[in-house]
Amino acid sequence: MEHQAISSEITFEHHTDDATFRKKVVRTTILLTVITIIELILGVGIYLIHKGPDPNAMLVLFFKGLVCILTLAKAYYIVSVFMHLGDEIRNMIMTIVVPLLLFIWFIIAFIVDGNSYKNLRNTYDKHFQETTTPKPHHGAEKAPVAEPQPGKQ
Amino acid sequence: MSEAMHAHVEAATGHGVHHDEHNGHGHHHQSFVSKYVFSMDHKTIGKQFLITGIVWAIIGGLFSVLFRLQLGYPGQTFPILETFFGHWAEGGIIKPEFYYALVTMHGTVLVFFVLTAGLSGTFANFLIPLQIGARDMASPFINMLSYWFFFLASVVMLASMFVQTGPASGGWTMYPPLSALGQANDGSKIGADLWLISMALFIVSSLLGGLNYISTILNMRTKGMSMTRLPLTIWALFFTAVLGVLSFPVLLSGAVLLLFDRNLGTSFFLSDIVVNGEILPNEGGSAILYQHLFWFLGHPEVYIILLPAMGMVSEIMSVNSRKPIFGYMAMLGSLFAIAILAFLVWAHHMFVTGLNPFLGSVFVLLTLLIAVPSAIKVFNWLTTLWRGNIRFTPGMLFAIGFVSLFISGGLTGIFLGNSTIDIHLHDTMFVVAHFHIVMGVASMFGMFAGIYHWFPKMFGRYLNTTLAYLHFWVTLIGAYLIFWPMHYQGLAGIPRRYLDKSGWHSFNQFGDLDKMITVVSVVVFAVQLMFVFNFFYSIFKGRKVTSTNPWGATTLEWTTPINPGHGNWEGEIPEVHRWAYDYAKDGRDFIPQTEPIGNNESAH
Amino acid sequence: MATTATAQQTKWWSGGKSPFNMEYGKLMMWYFLMSDAFTFGAFLISYGTIRFSQNFWPDPNVVFNAVPGLGHNDLPLVFVSIMTFILIISSVTMVLAVHAGHKGDKQGVIKWLAWTIVGGIAFLSCQAWEWHHLITGVHPTLIDGKIEFIGQTTTHNPWGQLVDGAALTEALNNSSQHTLATLVHEHHANMSHADLMGKSKEELIGMLNIAEMHIREKGPVAFGGYFYGITGFHGFHVFSGVIINIVMLIMAQKNVFQQRGHYLMIEKAGLYWHFVDLVWVFVFLCFYLI
Repeated sequence: MEHQAISSEITFEHHTDDATFRKKVVRTTILLTVITIIELILGVGIYLIHKGPDPNAMLVLFFKGLVCILTLAKAYYIVSVFMHLGDEIRNMIMTIVVPLLLFIWFIIAFIVDGNSYKNLRNTYDKHFQETTTPKPHHGAEKAPVAEPQPGKQ
Repeated sequence: MSEAMHAHVEAATGHGVHHDEHNGHGHHHQSFVSKYVFSMDHKTIGKQFLITGIVWAIIGGLFSVLFRLQLGYPGQTFPILETFFGHWAEGGIIKPEFYYALVTMHGTVLVFFVLTAGLSGTFANFLIPLQIGARDMASPFINMLSYWFFFLASVVMLASMFVQTGPASGGWTMYPPLSALGQANDGSKIGADLWLISMALFIVSSLLGGLNYISTILNMRTKGMSMTRLPLTIWALFFTAVLGVLSFPVLLSGAVLLLFDRNLGTSFFLSDIVVNGEILPNEGGSAILYQHLFWFLGHPEVYIILLPAMGMVSEIMSVNSRKPIFGYMAMLGSLFAIAILAFLVWAHHMFVTGLNPFLGSVFVLLTLLIAVPSAIKVFNWLTTLWRGNIRFTPGMLFAIGFVSLFISGGLTGIFLGNSTIDIHLHDTMFVVAHFHIVMGVASMFGMFAGIYHWFPKMFGRYLNTTLAYLHFWVTLIGAYLIFWPMHYQGLAGIPRRYLDKSGWHSFNQFGDLDKMITVVSVVVFAVQLMFVFNFFYSIFKGRKVTSTNPWGATTLEWTTPINPGHGNWEGEIPEVHRWAYDYAKDGRDFIPQTEPIGNNESAH
Repeated sequence: MATTATAQQTKWWSGGKSPFNMEYGKLMMWYFLMSDAFTFGAFLISYGTIRFSQNFWPDPNVVFNAVPGLGHNDLPLVFVSIMTFILIISSVTMVLAVHAGHKGDKQGVIKWLAWTIVGGIAFLSCQAWEWHHLITGVHPTLIDGKIEFIGQTTTHNPWGQLVDGAALTEALNNSSQHTLATLVHEHHANMSHADLMGKSKEELIGMLNIAEMHIREKGPVAFGGYFYGITGFHGFHVFSGVIINIVMLIMAQKNVFQQRGHYLMIEKAGLYWHFVDLVWVFVFLCFYLI
């Protein structure tokens, strides 16, 4: 039954021998685990920076960027190895990957407009700005603050 | 069908090409239910979509006649309305709530139920297997589900018209907060929930259909039918399906979030709202976000409606000009370009919502780019006609009408695509004129062209030609009489969606124009009813088709029997040896795709 | 691979075969997943849009810091990493099930599918606990000048900015006896709530170390909506994946695939299951990490 044709659509069937397959799966599992652990370390790093006395916004942004890239790497391994897309023929891979490029403009346009909405409201809705903007002492969670803050409700 | 013949088709169905693998026992004793109701035959499913679409078109068209009465004759009483609609038209005058329900339902019904399901549902189902040389869709079962989900969506939408508070009436785009708050208007009570549920079902239907169309076109082509030998109809339907599969899910997300806002107290789209002096707890949402989500579908949707019409027009025009389509590869390329651009331009519907102006300018650029592939298509249609041996069949007339409308409506798109001009023109009758001509009426023309052209294949009979010519001329002239003047109204600043503008002095000059538009729309609607009569009459009493290839076309559907059974071809599926447009070649009128290339044949 | 040579000679697009050497069902599954990716994408991008339109957004490490059985310890990211690993491991077992299917190994398919189902159920249980914890775990929050206890729901968010000394003292003065007693009870567990209710408000406030208190304003409500909406939608996918896998398990048990001659259905179910894992990778990113 192993070589029975599944349907006339199929020209040839994939065959992977057990040993290579096992090696590949084990390697990918380890990779995914390691990436996740690095992500967690970065996540805790972001937490500690936030908690610290003087949060460095650029460093946080850098860490977040790293986490995003690592996530894309994880997605690549899941799709390519676990879902076997890497073993399909090139045209098939392209029909999956190319439409995903739409996400680039999808994300940029939405996020830019979200940000612009914030700026609009900060400019024309002072109440919004005053009640929601993080105060300078945000992050310094332990520091007791005695003097009243301007703009506090 | 005789027993022997039936068995023969069964054998053919099981042969070679897979049928649904999970359903090995075949269709031996087809009852009425399995043949006409829960049918898995793509031809029957196509006809189901068509007839459901026609029913919806009558309903949606009737709505437009009703609100045109209000626009043309504000304040006048039509007692008959009260007879039919009761308290919605007390004293024979259309109430504001009724008016808004009518325009909302007119838009929803025509855009989704007629021009999406009725158009691509019908012709993708009917034509794909026939033109690519397949026994049926890749999965006939999922195909059947696709229709029944559409049917379910239809039932829910129809039901919403009969609830106490009326159907959704916040416009077919359902912008929150109007659509999100029951306090805002009656239509935003249960009607809006039903609208959203119906759309969710509709999206499932369109997804199931689209997946089937894509995998059928890719996997089920007969031997020799390479992608560049496909008729342009198939290419157009292919891109339509791709657009649907990638953009409808985004509307689904928007609809789900809106349902949550309505029923679970979330604040995705709501913020800073005061109703009757009461401050709503919703905070931090963004109404513009909904518009982004909606138009991320909404704009591709325009092409979901238009592309099938373009494909069918290309095919019909080539057949009836007795000439190869001009620039086949350019037609393909422009279809592809339109499909991609369709995803990149959605925010041009939102220039005046508070969208970031810089972002808007990027959208202007991308929007204007669409003019390029559109112009390529128009030139190719015109050059296909050029010096052709034209046969003015009803299908051909509607195809030419499509091109005319596409040009007229497309040009005004260039006005609206510029964000600065749009500041003046947005939400005016100019917009109404633009999209009705370029996508509404043009796509209807594509649909009519398709119906007149493939009716003989669907039912083995012809539509009555005299009625068809009358239908064409009245519809074409009527469409221009209705929508052309709206451009002037829009330029003068008349807003759309207003039910009575007699309070504005400056708009009074258009009173007679509005009356004229209303009269013409009643006439055009009557002529559509005549078409519907022609359609159903001809199914049973029309002139019978006597040859398998009445139009002298090259494509595969005309190699099947006059009334093909389930499985389409009685013997082997024919093999394909050439592209679909060998007309007037080497002194021959046409050469079918199934004919092998001769030794001394000229290359094209 | 021995078939590479054949692959190069095949005219993939000439018709009569699949251009991707893939049977239609699997193709449909791939494109369905693509479509579903746009549904999830739209949800997550909406979340991002709202987040970018706010001046303040809660730090996920503050919100998601509990682990069942470990009480009030501040352990950010721990529980969700357990959930993530559960899903990754269940994806691995699914790969093994699909591989067993390729070889026609019925026992292997059943074994690995069963483990996958266990993983799926474990994940769902974790999610149920997390939701329960977030909804029922109330936090003292500054609302309209006084302190109230609220949980994280679709309409309330206790994760706003920290309230500072002066405003906090004022808020405490405005708060009810019951609220103050509860607050003191959290820090002095040896005193019963009933005893504390007997004390005066001044006494109770005196027992609180105001500098050490982490009391927050109301946060952006959209946070909860998106969190429950998106993890719920993902959870629904996991749930349906579990159901699909159970159906597959029963079919394998009943020799359906053996009779059919191939285990393609397992492959399609596998694609779906991996997709669920894939989506979680992004949900994890958007809600817990950044």
